Amino acid sequence: MEALRAEHIDKRYGEGDTEVWALREVDLVLAAGQIVALLGPSGSGKSTLIKVLGLVTRPDHGDLWMNGERVVADGELVTDVGQLRRSHIGFVFQKANLIPFLNARMNIELACEIGERYVPRHRAKELLEYLGVGHRGSAYPNTLSGGEQQRIAIARALANSPSLILADEPTAALDKERGRSVMELLRRVAHEQGTAVVVVTHDHRSLDVFDAIYQMEDGRLTASPAVASGTPSTPRDPLKWHG
Amino acid sequence: MNLAFHDVRHHFGRFVATSAVVGLLFTVVLAMAGIYQGLVDDATVLLDRMHADLWVVQRGTRGPFADPSRLDPSLEQRVASVPGVSSARAFTTQVLQRDHGHQQLRFALVGLAFPYDRGDNLSIVQGNAIRQAHGELLADASLGLPVGEVLRLGRDDYRITGLTRQVLASGGDGVVFATIADTQRIIADDSSDALIAERERRLKRLLDTDLGQSQPTLEALAVDPRWTFPSLPAPPIQAVLVNAAPARMEEVRRALGRWSDVTVWTRVEEEQLVLQGMVAKARMQLAVFAAILIVSSSLLLAAVLYNLTLEKAHDIAVLKLLGARATRIVSLVLQQAWATAILGYAIALALGSQAFPHFPRRVVLTEVSVVGVGVLLLVVSTLASVAGVVFALRVDPGPVLES
Repeated sequence: MEALRAEHIDKRYGEGDTEVWALREVDLVLAAGQIVALLGPSGSGKSTLIKVLGLVTRPDHGDLWMNGERVVADGELVTDVGQLRRSHIGFVFQKANLIPFLNARMNIELACEIGERYVPRHRAKELLEYLGVGHRGSAYPNTLSGGEQQRIAIARALANSPSLILADEPTAALDKERGRSVMELLRRVAHEQGTAVVVVTHDHRSLDVFDAIYQMEDGRLTASPAVASGTPSTPRDPLKWHG
Repeated sequence: MNLAFHDVRHHFGRFVATSAVVGLLFTVVLAMAGIYQGLVDDATVLLDRMHADLWVVQRGTRGPFADPSRLDPSLEQRVASVPGVSSARAFTTQVLQRDHGHQQLRFALVGLAFPYDRGDNLSIVQGNAIRQAHGELLADASLGLPVGEVLRLGRDDYRITGLTRQVLASGGDGVVFATIADTQRIIADDSSDALIAERERRLKRLLDTDLGQSQPTLEALAVDPRWTFPSLPAPPIQAVLVNAAPARMEEVRRALGRWSDVTVWTRVEEEQLVLQGMVAKARMQLAVFAAILIVSSSLLLAAVLYNLTLEKAHDIAVLKLLGARATRIVSLVLQQAWATAILGYAIALALGSQAFPHFPRRVVLTEVSVVGVGVLLLVVSTLASVAGVVFALRVDPGPVLES
């Protein structure tokens, strides 16, 4: 099943002499449970693509489908963005960006409340256990290590069982060991939860965790998908029965 | 999950400090309202305590609190003889400032029509009413004089026999009650030199007249301290206070109103005259000051709330990426503003209740002013958070992805 389909996505910034093509004729198809990497130099359009896929930025042209539903038609939003974010999209950022005045458990509960899909307390407990930070539920973000914070952020992104997780350099602030651990966690999430995961990364040491690797350059997806570990695993979702 | 509650709990020190600033500002707003009400109460308390239905004053004047009113003491008897009048009492008042020990004692001296009025109606909180025609006083407790204290006023000593509570003149000075005879004695008290000078002026006036030049024997009389002209009036009074049966009030008023030498005011009219005359400017000044204070407090509160929202811009962006509805984000800003306002108001009330009794002027907090300032603070905090709400709704979630 297709979790995401993007066709002919264009995005330009500026006008005239200052015009820059951030995305040019980008096509991308992601299957459920597939984890892909977006590689490329700075300014190549990776973050813009993540923003377009997350409906944070509107493309100038192109179409976008999520779970088979058309959400962008020729650059125009044709859906309720808030509803889509609540139910279909999870974000993982370079920094964890946890709400600082909520503890780890409440950060996840908040996402559940916003999604209105699960009983927040049960879901938060399950996700904390699932991601190996069950013992840190009552800790506030400023007392968590970088790796723990990213695990909580991933748990928060998973709160409403999204079909798509967009991760923008999630290991940039972590050391090699913790970075690797987070990448493996994302792979596990993709394969076990059936969630499509797009990861923008500069970390070439963890490319083996991805099902496919895309290269971006000057706003184009220049390289063909290079399957790193074969076809995606059959999605399993041990947590979704609570829905 | 109430985000405002968790934010406040997590930054409790900052929240309390912000609320304290708001509380201090609105303590002053409360004080303005209280001082205004105190002005009104002080201006009218004596009117209330005199329990008069009608105030008879000099023709064309507006009563003893607004105009100098000079009436012959015989008016008291004239008024008492009008059909329907149940009682008529002379009234005098004068503000005096005298040395008392090492301090200045400023008070309003009010005459009681002894023996009909001994001050029993004045809500005496300690001691007793005046029992003799001369040498006794009732004093307001705000003057700090104890029962039994002896004051030297003029040439005589006066002993305080009882204390009243919150009986103040329109200027806020505590009231001292004496018999009318004593008040006139105290007010008319002249020094020996002044009396000698007056006798010399009397002699000079006499010698300037044909009578004085034709009858030199009158010279001795003019300087004789025991001699006064029979035609000289007794010391004047300022008003006659009238009580009448309600059913005959209008009849009495019409009868007195026909007299050419007096003007009659009802209790309500006299109160309006006092408020319009003495309190109007002070009220306007307080209102302008309070308005400036409210506007500046609102702007400060808006700046504080806006800054609090600015600090949360990143969290708000994250909330938007999580798909939070606008109502949740607006609630976060508004509820925090209201929480700040409520704690600020509680601080203002607590501070006010401790500080206001020590103010030099009376601060009277009525239910209307207490509730009114509370509602005002809620409205102000709501309006002040508008800028924060607008900012929150415009926060772009995009940069969060890059940070």
